[in-house]
Amino acid sequence: MMMKKLFEVMRVYGLVVGAAASLWAQAPLITAEGFAVPQAGKTFSFPRDHGAHPDFKLEWWYVTGHLFKEGAEGAGGRRLGFQATFFRQAAPDKSVQLHLAHMAIIDVATGRFLHQERLNRAGWDAGSAEETLEVRQGNWSLRLSDPAAAAGAERMELRGGVQAEAALALTLTPVKPLVVFGENSISRKGAAPTAASYYLTFSRLRAEGDVTLGAEKFSVRGEAWMDHEISSSQLDTNQVGWDWVSVQFTDQRELMMYRLRTRDGGADPASSLTWVDAAGKPLQQKFSWEVLETWKSPATGAVYPSRVAVSTTDPATGAAVRYTLEPLARDQELPGRLGGIAYWEGACRVRDAAGKEVGSAYMELTGYAAELKL
Amino acid sequence: MNGSVISLLLRRFSWRHARLAPRATALLVGILALGVAVFVSIRLANRAAVSSFTHFTDTLTGQSDLIVQAPAGTLPESVLPELRAALGVRPVHIVPVVEATAAEALAAGEAAGFGRKTYTLLGVDLLALANLASQSNVERSYFDQGQAQKVGGRGARDNEVGVGDFWRAFAAGPQVWVSAALASTPPKILALVFDERVRTLPVVGVIPTAKDAPRVPANLLVLDLPHLQQITGKVGRLDRVEFLVEPGPRASERRAELQTLLEKLGGERWIVTTPGTRRESAETMTRAFRLNLTILSLIALLVGLYLIFQALDGAVVRRRTEIAILRSLGVEERVIQLAWLTEAAVLGLLGGALGLVLGWAGAQFAVRAVGQTVNALYYATTVEAASLAPGELVLGLGLGLGASLVAGWWPARLAASTPPAQVLPRGAPPAAGGRWQRSFALGAGCVGLGVVLAQLSPLRLDGGGRFPLAGYAAAFFWIFGGGLMAGWLLPLVARGARIWGVAWAPARIALSHLRRPSGRHRLSVAALHCAVGMAAGMAILVASFELTVRSWIVRSLQADLYVASAGAQNASMDNFISAEAADRLASHPAVADAARFTAYPLELGGIPTLLSGTDLGLMHVRSDLPWVRPPRDPAIWQTERNARLALVSEAFVERFGKKPGDTLRLPTPGGVQAVVIAGVFADYGNERGSILVDRTHLKAWFADARVTNVSLWLKPEVDADTVRAELLREFPGLAVFTNVKLRAEVLRIFRQTFAITYALEVIAVLVAVIGLALTLTSVLLDRREELTTLRALGFTRRELAGAAALEGGVVAAAAVVGGLVLSVALGWLLIYVINKQSFGWTLEFSVPWGQLVALTVAVVGTGVAVSYLVGRWGADLPADREE
Repeated sequence: MMMKKLFEVMRVYGLVVGAAASLWAQAPLITAEGFAVPQAGKTFSFPRDHGAHPDFKLEWWYVTGHLFKEGAEGAGGRRLGFQATFFRQAAPDKSVQLHLAHMAIIDVATGRFLHQERLNRAGWDAGSAEETLEVRQGNWSLRLSDPAAAAGAERMELRGGVQAEAALALTLTPVKPLVVFGENSISRKGAAPTAASYYLTFSRLRAEGDVTLGAEKFSVRGEAWMDHEISSSQLDTNQVGWDWVSVQFTDQRELMMYRLRTRDGGADPASSLTWVDAAGKPLQQKFSWEVLETWKSPATGAVYPSRVAVSTTDPATGAAVRYTLEPLARDQELPGRLGGIAYWEGACRVRDAAGKEVGSAYMELTGYAAELKL
Repeated sequence: MNGSVISLLLRRFSWRHARLAPRATALLVGILALGVAVFVSIRLANRAAVSSFTHFTDTLTGQSDLIVQAPAGTLPESVLPELRAALGVRPVHIVPVVEATAAEALAAGEAAGFGRKTYTLLGVDLLALANLASQSNVERSYFDQGQAQKVGGRGARDNEVGVGDFWRAFAAGPQVWVSAALASTPPKILALVFDERVRTLPVVGVIPTAKDAPRVPANLLVLDLPHLQQITGKVGRLDRVEFLVEPGPRASERRAELQTLLEKLGGERWIVTTPGTRRESAETMTRAFRLNLTILSLIALLVGLYLIFQALDGAVVRRRTEIAILRSLGVEERVIQLAWLTEAAVLGLLGGALGLVLGWAGAQFAVRAVGQTVNALYYATTVEAASLAPGELVLGLGLGLGASLVAGWWPARLAASTPPAQVLPRGAPPAAGGRWQRSFALGAGCVGLGVVLAQLSPLRLDGGGRFPLAGYAAAFFWIFGGGLMAGWLLPLVARGARIWGVAWAPARIALSHLRRPSGRHRLSVAALHCAVGMAAGMAILVASFELTVRSWIVRSLQADLYVASAGAQNASMDNFISAEAADRLASHPAVADAARFTAYPLELGGIPTLLSGTDLGLMHVRSDLPWVRPPRDPAIWQTERNARLALVSEAFVERFGKKPGDTLRLPTPGGVQAVVIAGVFADYGNERGSILVDRTHLKAWFADARVTNVSLWLKPEVDADTVRAELLREFPGLAVFTNVKLRAEVLRIFRQTFAITYALEVIAVLVAVIGLALTLTSVLLDRREELTTLRALGFTRRELAGAAALEGGVVAAAAVVGGLVLSVALGWLLIYVINKQSFGWTLEFSVPWGQLVALTVAVVGTGVAVSYLVGRWGADLPADREE
């Protein structure tokens, strides 16, 4: 399906944080199709920049998180993972905006994975406001509780669900300041001059609200991560997919990494890992990636990494660290019927080298079901 | 013990006789088969016609749970954000829909007329459609049609081209997707008539469906919502909004909750329905029509019943001696009765099975005829084929079995009551039929009961339908009672014939038999009488109808030219002429006066009807309506005084139970309008009934200046054909009829709707004539000994054949005389009771003498010819042969 390519492009661009920082000074103002290109030294103003940027070709709001049934936060309590993403894409001739959205919920105790996908043109049933954060898709929405909330005072309302099987009503409150990934407000994605994005992230949000699963409704608390990424660029053709991870450690630090896999089986130099310290300051580090176990999807036949190890340097201590990511359920694959790509996006447990649980993660694995040809 | 006796009896007794008379057995099975076949084919055709009322959206979305639509006209698009906001987080898909109809454009030089290929166009958001659960296993989306050959793991470049293709397809102008059933290779373009314009639309490809989805009707075209809105001038408007509740826990509870919410939110702005109620309303709309057909389809079986009864009875009489011997051998009455009933049942099952095959074949023809009528009178159907459901297999066999058991019951009892051989008087007169068969009083009683029943009012069906149950019961009693009484005609006719036909010995023999007619003769008369009576009664109805319609046409079609969109091909189409085009027509130099007419479908208390408007003042001057109750107050003719007045059709009065002086509350987009009924007019074109108001007010209520059609009165000495040709050149999308041509078209459609009823009657007469042959065969078999004696006395084969021909001819003549009397009674019943109660139309009584004479000649002639042939065969019957 056609939409496959469109939304692969959207996701990949956002992940490929550019290594070729020396090139950004020459970035042209517009792409060949006439879309805006992220500019260095951009001063973001909020709430406006939480809203949509239709001058750019691609944009998305990506929320993932870990929830615990209220009163059962300890080990053995009811645990859920969720993903709620809203995409926007402009037609090449800018005549119309399309909106795609994905929702997924994993019930860790049962391993039951629910997901749904929606595609609409901008209009009465889908859209994104420009002046503030307000994206919607049918009965799903993500908006600021106070549309005029100033930077640092944001609180968000997420309404979503999966068909009639599950519903989410969450209030998301940032507990750490907004992170702007990349350098000088711009995040490079590849060698091409237009390959850049604005990459804004709330790396830690307090999540609280209600979850309905089947006939059961209960209160939940937990933590979430939210990316908002804006770009217009095109992608290299030698990449076949990527692996992306966001980790929230129990010590209030976070880690975000992506690894762009190339056709020859290696990783693109644009791959990177960034630590976010307790104060919210980002810092890049070298890393390595090791697949410990794989899982074959019965639905698509794709073989995904299932347990992986990420080795890097802890900037706080300078020590080498090795973290193992263990999926909370093996099957967290989204078949991507409308968007067109099957990918794995799932909640994981993070353990240190000693086997101690040190945090929670979301991992995204693409290009395993079919080579991404972009 | 009993079981083995029965099986022995069946083998050595029934089967032996069947083998000895294979043709008579085959004929019996054939008659039963024909009766079952007619019923089955009408049933299949009816079902196909109803099921083809597709809620078209279902083939795209799966079944909607609820539908919101305006009581009349369209809904503004602004209801969509309002609905979504009101629904909040409820998991419900909201699907806005625009629906339109269009006809294929005429090729150059093609004659205008009705009956062109029409399409239903559905405009839905084709991108959002993929979000529905029902679409989850559809392989390709609407905008991926060109991609099939590109998929398959080629290089990156191809796929980049693919992305471009999606956007090209998505951003393209109006384009259509067609049904796979339309053609093996879809056409590249379609030229369609919308309103007065011809539009050429590119065909993108085939409507993508899931493998298990219902078949997409051949005449369905799908467009992206904004495109169809643009083409049909409904920008910012919607015909309806459909709701699909996400499946899952508490689905029915959530559906009910949604319905309450929508009803509360809508108030008077919209009606909340379900696809079920829409289908039901289509069903109730045509229920009377379909019931009428079903009843007619039972005539052949009814006639067949007489014949089977007769044949079995004859067999009992002929095998009397054998039965008597069996009885004296100790075979119980019960066993004999059971053996006879089993024989009847086997015949019934064989006939039923054969009837199913014939019925299915017949349905393939009937379905078109039924479809045409439904199309002309009710709504667009696309029915092309009928199929046999498992239930109908059971029904067909059951009908054959039931009919043969009913007909075989009396003969079986008769057989069982045969005394043992010792007491059976040799050569006792065959006691054909029961005493009741000869009872004149019973016949007269039945006729009397029929008269009483004919006075009763009809059964009211849901949705405004009415069914004349008592009327049909009256018809049944008249047919049955008349049948009994017709037997009494035989001696009368025979006596009459004797006056001038006694010189010839064979005639004397024939008449002597008829002066004391056997039960068999009586039955044959009754069967033919029934068939002739029904056929002639129907002919009277149609003739009366035609006379009425003709005079109605003369009165109501008075303008010189009639102009409508060429897209308007039947009762359900919603094609208009734009206000500008109507103005241009009116201001044409050759035009003296132009009357614009606009009609909208409307729901009044859940019952669909029609709201129309015209320039009442002009109409009053130019062409008077055919009145049933003319208005007394002239205010109705004055625009400034008639805003709160309306005229209604006779069918409306019947359907809604309203009368002049009553107030109607009309839900229009401009609010509810209260109007008082000022008069009632006749309208034979619309069974749903219609309300007529002044167009000035209708235009304001609907904020719509489009017109459905325009009647043009030309200036003196202008040639209508010349103006017509000129208008057609100027507006290629318009259909322009001259007065003469339109009258002819109306009559053609009218006759077409009766085609199937005629076919049913012809089959019934055919069955009855075959039955006459069977009767004579049976009679001659009874008289084997007499025939042998006559041959011995020197009668030639031709003379005996002549005697049989006369005998058959008199039976046929008696049946025709009785049948004609019956037909007048049935004609009266059909016109003044059944038709009036079913459709609400008053007709003038007219007798088609020519047709009745032709029917008489045909029936008596065939009767004589068939009897002659049977007589020749009978003359050679050896006296000692078993059968």
